[in-house]
Amino acid sequence: MLLKRYIPIAIVAFFGALTLSAWFIDNETIETFANDDATQFFDIIAAFAVFLGALNLLKLQFIKVLKQQSGWIYSAIAIASFFFAFIIGFFIRGAYFVGEDVYFSQKAAEAAILGSGSSEVVVPVDWGAHVQTDGSLFQWMFKYIFSPLSATMFALLAFFVASASFRAFRARNFEASLLLVAGIIIMLGRVPIGSLISSWTIMYILAFSIGIGINSYVKNRNVMFGWILGSCGAITGFGMTMGWPIDQPAIFFLPALQEWIYLVPNLAGSRAILIGIGLGIVATSLRYIFGLEKSYLGE
Amino acid sequence: MNNKFTVYALGIVGIVLLTLALSVMPDSLNFFREDKSAMFVFTLIVIMIMLYEVKLAKNSSEPIFLRTIPGLKAVEEAVGRSTEMGRPILYVPGIMDMNEVETVAGVVVLGHVANMTAQYETELDVPVARAIVMQSARQVTKEAYLTQGRPEMFNEDMVHYITDDQFAYAAAVNGIMQRDEPAACLYMGKFFAESLLFAETGNSIGAIQIAGTGSQTQIPFFVTACDYTLMGEEFFAASAYLSKQPELIAGITAQDIIKIILVGFILLLIVSRAFFDLGVTEFNLVTWLGL
Repeated sequence: MLLKRYIPIAIVAFFGALTLSAWFIDNETIETFANDDATQFFDIIAAFAVFLGALNLLKLQFIKVLKQQSGWIYSAIAIASFFFAFIIGFFIRGAYFVGEDVYFSQKAAEAAILGSGSSEVVVPVDWGAHVQTDGSLFQWMFKYIFSPLSATMFALLAFFVASASFRAFRARNFEASLLLVAGIIIMLGRVPIGSLISSWTIMYILAFSIGIGINSYVKNRNVMFGWILGSCGAITGFGMTMGWPIDQPAIFFLPALQEWIYLVPNLAGSRAILIGIGLGIVATSLRYIFGLEKSYLGE
Repeated sequence: MNNKFTVYALGIVGIVLLTLALSVMPDSLNFFREDKSAMFVFTLIVIMIMLYEVKLAKNSSEPIFLRTIPGLKAVEEAVGRSTEMGRPILYVPGIMDMNEVETVAGVVVLGHVANMTAQYETELDVPVARAIVMQSARQVTKEAYLTQGRPEMFNEDMVHYITDDQFAYAAAVNGIMQRDEPAACLYMGKFFAESLLFAETGNSIGAIQIAGTGSQTQIPFFVTACDYTLMGEEFFAASAYLSKQPELIAGITAQDIIKIILVGFILLLIVSRAFFDLGVTEFNLVTWLGL
């Protein structure tokens, strides 16, 4: 009980309080502990924990291959990739300089010298530096295997954004319709064509949309027709009398409208969420410091 | 109720006086950072309200009202659905390490989910992106299975490490989704760009999806692609909600009281700033507080 319950709670409470107090106490020792030492402790623990992770990964992948479970071929590729990266990271320098040229192996570098007949000598790259040296085997793997694969996964986002937007923008209810309209305004307002659409056009579209709303509510064609005719006439009349240019009235000009949506309702909503997140983090942290939350101990 | 607000009012006055006293101490004795006074006052107020609410909750026999959070109610539904379909539950505790409070919250919620999977005898799969998270999640899951009296069902490989790299992890988790077709996918923790990769793949396999995160930029993606989303503070309240312990629920009450105080404070700042800008007064609370 003491080891499994009270000591972990005491450690969390002590170090939590110490880290919190470092914000308010002007003391170099406490500050250094909170900002440097504690994070270094964490990094050291995390570095050693990677061994546990790697062993777990290998164990599971080997089991999959040995039992030929579904998708075992991917496990075989994972194991091969693991050992390839491990070997070229720890046992092969993979970079031999001949002047400014870099070769993966010493033999290749010597062959190049023999071929050119130059008086240069082969200089192997230092251990440690070999993983960051341009032209080394490790960097080659990073540049031509790892980065393209990561970029491929990242690129998938574009397609997923499209499919997710398609679902989100279906006008199923009032909120979804609002999202649809806001989305269209933001998208159009941020591309060059948006600034070519006059405020007048938007006002006409708005008048027609309100007409549709009136019709679905009153269900009377004459009323709807009267509204559309009246509102379009009023827009045209006002526009011609007052000589509105393409971007006037500014509230109906798409680039200005999208800017307003982005900076006012959107920012207000995200700040509200941000305040909630901040308070949630503070409350959660205090629950741990005061030992109120013990779920992390499995209780 | 009146007594409660008297305690809070007196407490706030006391905290402000203490801060002022610390600020005026002679330099030789002064260890207090005056530039952090506003934060210091706020922190002490939060601590005071939280501890007092917890004390009240412990002494009270009446249950504290907690509004229904659909996303958390749906967790049990998701476990039930997986049990009926005989398919596993996939739980992703984010991609960051245990130094992120969201990861800690995610691991805590995992404990509650593991309680349910142990109860319903449902398969649970927890791929993780950090080795320390793997150890913590294993411990929490093991305790949950022991608590439910099902230690034989616990297998430490149900929590397994994949990789620290963001997109490699996303690719592996998507592969697990495609191959194992879990009936429910739960994403609880800190997420970045991979959030939509998970949620859209989960959607394509027809899994019921519940997400919880404090990563503000990822919330819209989860809202779009998941069935339920715990937004920000709802996610941090999840542990209290699922545990139903009064002292933890009291923490949420404290959060709401602080929110009311903050709203009042923001309004006060707006009025003060407006009066200053209009030239009605020369005092500006915003500048005075150094905000």
